[in-house]
Amino acid sequence: MLTTDASQARYLIDPTRLDLAREFRRVPRGHYSLELQQVLYRMRWSGVGQRHVLLMLEPGRRWMLAQLPARRGEPLKTFPEQVFTSIADAEWTVFCLRWELLTGESISNLNLD
Amino acid sequence: MLNTVAVIGYAAPIEVACGSTVEFKLSSATLSSARAQIVKIRCGDPDPSGPGVQLIAMPSPLDGEVALTHQPIHAGSCGLVDDAPALRALDSFSIGCWVWPTLLDAGAQTVVARWREDTQEGWRLGLDAQGRASFTVAVAGHTCSATASRALLEREWAFIGASYDSTSGQLEVFQRSLDVLGGRDRSASDKGSAPRHAAWPAGLPLSFAAHLRDDGTLHLTAAHFNGKIDRPRLHAGVHSLEALRASAAALRPVRGDTDLVAAWDFSEAIGSDRFVDRGPHGLHGVLRNAPTRAVTGANWSARTPHWTEATEEYGAIHFHNDDIDDCRWNTDLSLDIPTDWPSGFYSLRLSATDTDGQPAESHVPFFIGAQPGQARARLAFVASTATFLAYSNSAIRLDLQPTEAMLEQLLVLGPDDAYLQEHRELGLSTYDTHSDGSGWCYASAARPILNMRPHGGGYYQMDTRVIDWLDSTGISYDVITDSDIHRHGAQLLADYGCVLTGCHPEYYTQQMLDAFETYQAGGGRHVYLGGNGFYWRTAFHPTKPGRIEIRRGLTGTRTWEGEPGENGLSSTGEPSGLWRSNGRPPQRLVGVGFDAQVFDRGCAYRRLPDSLDPRVAFIFEGVGEQEVIGDFGLRGGAGGHEIDRVDTRLGSPPHLLRVATADDFGSGGLATPEEFGVSHRGLGGDQNNQIRADMTFFPTARGGAVFTTGSIAWGMALAHRGYDNNVSRITANVLRRFIDPAPFTGFGASDEEAY
Repeated sequence: MLTTDASQARYLIDPTRLDLAREFRRVPRGHYSLELQQVLYRMRWSGVGQRHVLLMLEPGRRWMLAQLPARRGEPLKTFPEQVFTSIADAEWTVFCLRWELLTGESISNLNLD
Repeated sequence: MLNTVAVIGYAAPIEVACGSTVEFKLSSATLSSARAQIVKIRCGDPDPSGPGVQLIAMPSPLDGEVALTHQPIHAGSCGLVDDAPALRALDSFSIGCWVWPTLLDAGAQTVVARWREDTQEGWRLGLDAQGRASFTVAVAGHTCSATASRALLEREWAFIGASYDSTSGQLEVFQRSLDVLGGRDRSASDKGSAPRHAAWPAGLPLSFAAHLRDDGTLHLTAAHFNGKIDRPRLHAGVHSLEALRASAAALRPVRGDTDLVAAWDFSEAIGSDRFVDRGPHGLHGVLRNAPTRAVTGANWSARTPHWTEATEEYGAIHFHNDDIDDCRWNTDLSLDIPTDWPSGFYSLRLSATDTDGQPAESHVPFFIGAQPGQARARLAFVASTATFLAYSNSAIRLDLQPTEAMLEQLLVLGPDDAYLQEHRELGLSTYDTHSDGSGWCYASAARPILNMRPHGGGYYQMDTRVIDWLDSTGISYDVITDSDIHRHGAQLLADYGCVLTGCHPEYYTQQMLDAFETYQAGGGRHVYLGGNGFYWRTAFHPTKPGRIEIRRGLTGTRTWEGEPGENGLSSTGEPSGLWRSNGRPPQRLVGVGFDAQVFDRGCAYRRLPDSLDPRVAFIFEGVGEQEVIGDFGLRGGAGGHEIDRVDTRLGSPPHLLRVATADDFGSGGLATPEEFGVSHRGLGGDQNNQIRADMTFFPTARGGAVFTTGSIAWGMALAHRGYDNNVSRITANVLRRFIDPAPFTGFGASDEEAY
């Protein structure tokens, strides 16, 4: 039986590599350096905690942060105070959440522009 | 936010012809009415970077308010045998079967029963909430059980059985593991005591994989079993586990066994919703909600992987608590399709204000397909209804762990996805897994499908971008559907000078492939504007319109993998899996075949030397020799998403001209598994020149020809800059030339005839 293990990803993120966070801030979608790609696969493959997603409020224009539940049949958890008008901002917000959960270090208040 | 799920529904049938009747079955949990209107779909994609949703109102007698009720969906498969004197007359009895449980933590599950849940009457054999075989008998208001002491193992065969001795009132239940090695032995038994001389409820069906909730005529069921049930046996009198097991081992019952009441043989009538009793009383039954058939039994020897060659080893049925085939809803509206309506993608639009004061707009899709002999245009666009069904209610973004990594972006869900997450009773797609982790082999149109309609996403929505572009060009066309091609064959295609398949015609039956081959050989012209087409060997059920079947074999890009020995289509007996594995790679039909997924970014095409061949100059009229083609569209390129390449070893024709390619995908271009034997670090698009989308042309016979773009993303680039772009120009150049009956010259007539 072909299965995927929810805890399969094993890459360890170095919390001092803020250059990678900076790179993602610059180009949230597209081609990444190999090291950033490894960070993103760690985040996107197995995730951490319940998976964050975007709930589309208006096609191509507005999205709300949400979280998939642990079990089928349960509703999405939504965050009405977290509404985005830019996909890049949404990607960055979730990147920061995952960075902190995986490394224990917060980067959301750093100026990485 | 537009509420797209305040009303849900389905059309029956989903594919219709002018002059026939379509019924709409609707449900709303919150609204008592909505405004109904038939619309023809020009574009169903709400993306503001494209043309946006464009619907054409089609005045009909249905225009106006429609009253709505809530019609529930009762998911979960089971087998039902009508009550019969032989069942009612049971005194002492014994029951046993092989089981292969797949979800032991789903609560108590009934394997076989004559049991009413509301009154707690009858008897039932099943698994308790701990996964132990349990037998319950209710006599004169007393409910008595016996339960084995150990839990079974998931995905391990065990024989379970039970007996009731009416003279002593003794109950016995037992379970015996097939494989007792390595800690797998879960054999156990238990005894209990019940009142003597039980009388069983009349009128109650015997059920497999569930029991009856009540005595209602709908025969609603509960406590659905997840897993396989193989060779059930019912005997009068008290019999040991060994005797019951021997009864099951004898595939045909011993003649003259007066104790035998029923010997069900699920290996008979595998292609149907019926099951057969080989016992003396003809206690045949019917299946509800399409459990998976043609699955291996406890006696499967692996001497053949295909069920038609050893049917006696396929006497099991795999039941799921989330199977759904037909919602069996009442009809709310009915429409006789006017004979002068054009073929096309249609829906019943239902508009209202929801209970939160938000606008609600829901669509119930259907297709009007042009029929043989009724062509109104030189061009036919194929509605890829088999593919749309294969993806119907796809939940891979909700359930499949690596989807976000595969798509390389934060998942964006719509309101339909949020609804599907909560309402799994809608049933999922053939990309998804059941609650027990096994794959969905069947997909039915007799249920609401959320991603086959405007605003619904998916490849349906992508194909409407091609329809929108066709409408913008003024090129006249008919729409024909996959199931009509399957049913009518080449005669349907032969009405047209050119047939256009869309973004992702992935699922094909043998009859559909045969039709296209015959069409091409007879001078037909085929434009394939997509990627990953003609890929999976599929079946339409011969007698159940709107039901398709697919088995995921041991290769191909697939989100689940079938069990060993279960790659044969139950509907038809054909092998399933990739057409490439069945000796008919897509390259043979259309010159190109699937090579990679590319989700991180699109890629433009560049012209190749073959494009300067004067015989194909028509393709590039208005396009410069060095001009970059399609550096716009889905993720920035007309090449991408899923892409196809030429391979002469897989059947790309010698006459083929490879006129352009998109081949600069970088490491995000990921080869499909059937493209490599061993993995290494050089398989990605940054190092592998077989990760590419090839644009090709080749002549067939008698003036026929094929043109391909090899990319799903192609169609999404057509509307760029108000349709004024080189993707649009090339597509129009090709279509106009292909519908022009003038022959292609310079390819050698004798060769063409021979090809």
